Amino acid sequence: MRFRAKILDVGCLNSFTRVVNTISKLTKTCTLRLTADNLYFMLSDKVANGGVSMWCELDQGNFFDEFQMEGVASDANEIYLELVPENLSRALRTAQNAKSLKAKLTKKHCPCLTLAAELPSLSSVSRVVTHDIPVDVIPRKLWHDFREPTVPDFDVSIYLPPLKTMKNVIDRMKNLSNFLVLEANRSGQMNLKIETDLVSVSTHFRDLGNPPCDGGSQGASQDLETMAQARVDIKKLQQFLSSQQVNPSKAMCNIVDKKMVHFVWLHENASLQYFIPAMA
Amino acid sequence: MPLSTQSDQGDGQYVLVASLDNVRNLSNILKAIAFKDHALFNATPNGLKVTVEDSKCLQANAFIQSEIFQEFTIQEDSVSFQVNLTVLLDCLTIFGGSTVPGVTTALRLCYNGYGYPLKLFLEEGGVVTVCKINTQEPEEPIDFEFCSTNVTNKVILQSDSLREAFSELDMTSEVLQITMSPSQPYFRLSTFGNSGNAHYDYPKDSDMMELFQCTKTQTNRYKMSLLKPSTKALALSCKVSVRTDSQGFLSLQYLVRNDDGQICFVEYYCCPDEDVEEE
Amino acid sequence: MDCILIGSNVKVLAKAVQSLSRLGEELYLEPQENGLALRTVNSSRSAYACFLFSPLFFQKYTPPKSSTQRCKMVIKSVQAVFKSLSSLEKTVEKCRIELDIEKSRLTFTLHCKHGLLKTHNLSFQDSESLQAVFDKEGCANTLTAQPKLLVDTVLHFPPSLEEVRVSVNDERVLFRNHVEDEAEQSKAMMTEFCLSAEEFDRFVVNMHTCITFCLKELRGLLVFAESSGLPVSLYFDEPGRPMVLSLTDSVLEVNFVLATLSEEGQPRNHNSNMRRVSEPPITDDFMNDDVDYIIAMEAGELAGDSDWPEPPRHALTPPRLHGAAGDQQESSGECEDEDGQQGAVETPVEESGRPPNKKFRSLFFGSVLPTPSQMSNRTLQSQEVLASDSEDEDGSPSP
Repeated sequence: MRFRAKILDVGCLNSFTRVVNTISKLTKTCTLRLTADNLYFMLSDKVANGGVSMWCELDQGNFFDEFQMEGVASDANEIYLELVPENLSRALRTAQNAKSLKAKLTKKHCPCLTLAAELPSLSSVSRVVTHDIPVDVIPRKLWHDFREPTVPDFDVSIYLPPLKTMKNVIDRMKNLSNFLVLEANRSGQMNLKIETDLVSVSTHFRDLGNPPCDGGSQGASQDLETMAQARVDIKKLQQFLSSQQVNPSKAMCNIVDKKMVHFVWLHENASLQYFIPAMA
Repeated sequence: MPLSTQSDQGDGQYVLVASLDNVRNLSNILKAIAFKDHALFNATPNGLKVTVEDSKCLQANAFIQSEIFQEFTIQEDSVSFQVNLTVLLDCLTIFGGSTVPGVTTALRLCYNGYGYPLKLFLEEGGVVTVCKINTQEPEEPIDFEFCSTNVTNKVILQSDSLREAFSELDMTSEVLQITMSPSQPYFRLSTFGNSGNAHYDYPKDSDMMELFQCTKTQTNRYKMSLLKPSTKALALSCKVSVRTDSQGFLSLQYLVRNDDGQICFVEYYCCPDEDVEEE
Repeated sequence: MDCILIGSNVKVLAKAVQSLSRLGEELYLEPQENGLALRTVNSSRSAYACFLFSPLFFQKYTPPKSSTQRCKMVIKSVQAVFKSLSSLEKTVEKCRIELDIEKSRLTFTLHCKHGLLKTHNLSFQDSESLQAVFDKEGCANTLTAQPKLLVDTVLHFPPSLEEVRVSVNDERVLFRNHVEDEAEQSKAMMTEFCLSAEEFDRFVVNMHTCITFCLKELRGLLVFAESSGLPVSLYFDEPGRPMVLSLTDSVLEVNFVLATLSEEGQPRNHNSNMRRVSEPPITDDFMNDDVDYIIAMEAGELAGDSDWPEPPRHALTPPRLHGAAGDQQESSGECEDEDGQQGAVETPVEESGRPPNKKFRSLFFGSVLPTPSQMSNRTLQSQEVLASDSEDEDGSPSP
C-alpha cells in the first residue's frame, strides 16, 4: 500500500486547502478514500453524526501534479484512511505560500499521512515544514460501509438562493428555534419556516429555478405548486452553510418529503453532497 | 393562518401601521436599549417610544418620531403593548446585521390591537420574511419625575471621549461614581474594583466638553450593572448629556443619527445607589 | 519612585506588561538605580522574565531614596491601566508612575488627548526581590534572529501546544512539537519545522544539542519582540540547563529565562571546550528523572547592586564576573549544575501546598528574606544554602 503525491501550483494548493477546510468544519473525523483518479472525503450516516452524511469527490488531476498510489491489492486498488480533517486543514494552513507540497503515506509511530511543504525563506535554503498526521487504515472488509450514498427518489429538486442570504436568515432563526421546516416546489419557490410559542417566522424565496428533471426521479404527474418539506435540526443546517469557504458554481437541494434534504454543491474541481435527515 | 406574503389585511384593520425603507433606522436604536428581554412599546401620533426597565432603578427609552417613518398611521391616541425585544431584534435583522452598500431591508410593522400578535413584513432583494410575535399586557412605566427644573448639574460631552472611558470601566467595581462640580475635578467617573480604584477626569475646558453647567459639587454612586448597558447607546450616539437632579437621579440623553442622518434620542434614567454629598 | 514616560514609550511599557502577563500572574515592580525592573515568574516557577528599563527610557526618572521600594501586584490590574493597546499611541500623551511604599501608594496617571486624565491607584503587596541568576555568555549556543523569523516559526504549531523541542547542529535548527504522554503520541499530529543557519543574524553552535521547553513562554516574549522589532537572541546548551531569550537596545534589556527538560541518557557532546559536571544525581523526593536545570534564586537585597563579590568556584568553569550595572546578575555556570540543593531551601512562599510541576522543576527554591545577621555576608550565605544538601551530590564541593 503506497501513496505519494505532489502539488506544485499555489492556486491548486489554495483550492485543495479550501475543500479540506470545508470538510473540517463539517465533521471531526471522516474517511479519506484514495483511488487512482480521485480522492473522496466521506462521512457515513451514523447516529453519532446525528444522521447526517457527506460525500465529497475530487478529481486528483485538478489538484496534484504527481499522484501515485498502490492500493491494498491489485483487484482492490484503493486506500481507505480514517483521519481528523482538522489536522489536515491545520497542516495546509501554514503552507499556503509553499513552493511545493508533498504528501506521502508513511509509518511513523503509527500510520501517518505525512505532508512536507517547502517554504520560501530569507536565505538560499528553503524552510521545510513536515506534518505527520496520524491515520487509521480501514481494512477492506469494512469498505462496504462507505459506498456512495444512493440518491433517493426525491420529490422536489431546486436551485438554492444566494448562500449568504440563506445563511443570514438561518443564523437568526437559530436564535428563535431548534427546528426549521424547509420546503420547496417545482415552481422555483422555497420557504424556510420556524414556529414556536412565542414567534413564527417564514422567509419566502421565489424564482429560484429547478434543475431539469432527469427522468423518473420526479413523478411527472406531480403538481408544480405542491411543496415537499422536511423538518430539520437548524444547527446541522447552519453548520453546513457556515462550512462553505467559497461559493459553489451550482448549489441545489433535493427534498424527499418528510424524510430528508440532500444538498448538492458543485465547484469547478470538486463536488460535495450532504444529507440531512428530517425529524418527526 | 396561511402565509401569503402579498396580501395583508388591509390597513383599515390595523390600529398601527408603520413603514420604513431601511429597517436599520429602527433596529439600531432598539439595540441601544436591548439589555433586557422585554420592552414596552407605546405609539402615539408623535411616534414610537420604546421603554426597557431594570429592577425599578433603571429605565431606558428610545424615541423614534413619526417623521422618521415613511408611513406612520395610528387609529388611536395611544397604542401600547409589550413584546420580547430580543426576538423582535432577531426578526428585524433577519437578513443579517451588517450593511451591504446600496442594499436595504424594508419593513412594514402592523398591529391589530390588544391580544393580537405584532406582525412584521420585511423585504430585501425580492425575498420576503413574515414574522408574527406574540404580545403581552403592557405594564405602566416608572415615572422618575426627573424634571428639567430640578437639574443641579449638567454637561454635554462628545460621545467619542466618554466611550473610551466606558469601554475601560473596571467591571469588578460594583458602582460607578459620578462627580460633577464647578471646581476640580469638574466631571469625574470613578470605579472601586478588586485591583484598586480608577478615576477618569474630564476638565471643563476640554474640547470634548460642549456644555458645562455645574452649580454644586455632587458625588453620586450608581450600580455598575445598571449603567454598563448604556455603553451601547453611547457607541451609537454622537453627543451625550449628563444631568443629575437634587436627589442624585441621573439622566443620560444620547443624540443618535440614523443611516439617513436623521436625529433620534435615547435616554437612560438611573437611581443613585447611595447619596454621597460633598459640600 | 516617580517616573514619567511619554509618547510611544507608553505603548512599549504596556506591551512589556502584556508580554509578562503571558508568563505569570503577578508583576514584580522594582525601581533600581539603574532603572525600573518589571519581573514575573510563572506559577510552577520554571520561567522567569525581566524587563529592565534604563533611566533614559523615561522623560524623567527619580529612583527611590531607600532601596526597599519593591512591590508586586496582580498583573491584570496593571493591564487594566493600559486597555485599548492599539490606540494607546494615539490617545496617551504622557504616563506617570509613582510608587511610595510607606504611603501605600502606587499610582499610574495617564494624560490623554482632549484633557482627559486617567488615574489608577493600584493595590499591591510588599514583596521580596525576584531575580534569577543565569549565565548567558556561558552558554554553548547562541542564536540571534529577527522576531519575524520566530513568529513565522511558532505559527506552524497550534496555540494549544505546550512544549516544543529544538535541536541544533552546525547547519540548521529543527523545531518539533513535543508530546510527553505515551497515549497521546499515537493520536497527535507531529510537526517539524526546519530553518537553515543562514536565516539567523547570528548562529553560534558549539554544542549539538536538543532542548525541550515551554512554547507558551516563547510566545509571550514574541508578543513584545514583534512590536519592538528588536532581534531576539537565544542562549542555551544542554538539556536541563535553562535557556535565556534576550532582547536589548540602548534603553531596555529584556531577559526571559526558561527551564528546559533534562533527559536521562541524553548523549552529551564533548566537542565544546566547556566541560560540565556529569549525570545529575538523584537525591530527594522532589527529584525525578525528568527534572533538572539549575537556576538559583537570590534572596535578599539585590536592587541595582553591581558590587557583587564573585561567587565561590565549584568545578570547571570559571565564574563569570559581573557585567556593568544594568546587566542581570550573573554567576558561575557551575552553580547551575547543582540540583540537589532543593531540599534545603524549603521555604515555600506562595506555592507551599503545590508539588512542583513534574516536568519542569521550579527554577526558584522559594524566596527567603534575609535576616539582619545574614545581610553582611549574604552572597555566600545564599550559596551555602544552595549547597547544603551536597552530601547527595557527586563530587561537588561545598563552598
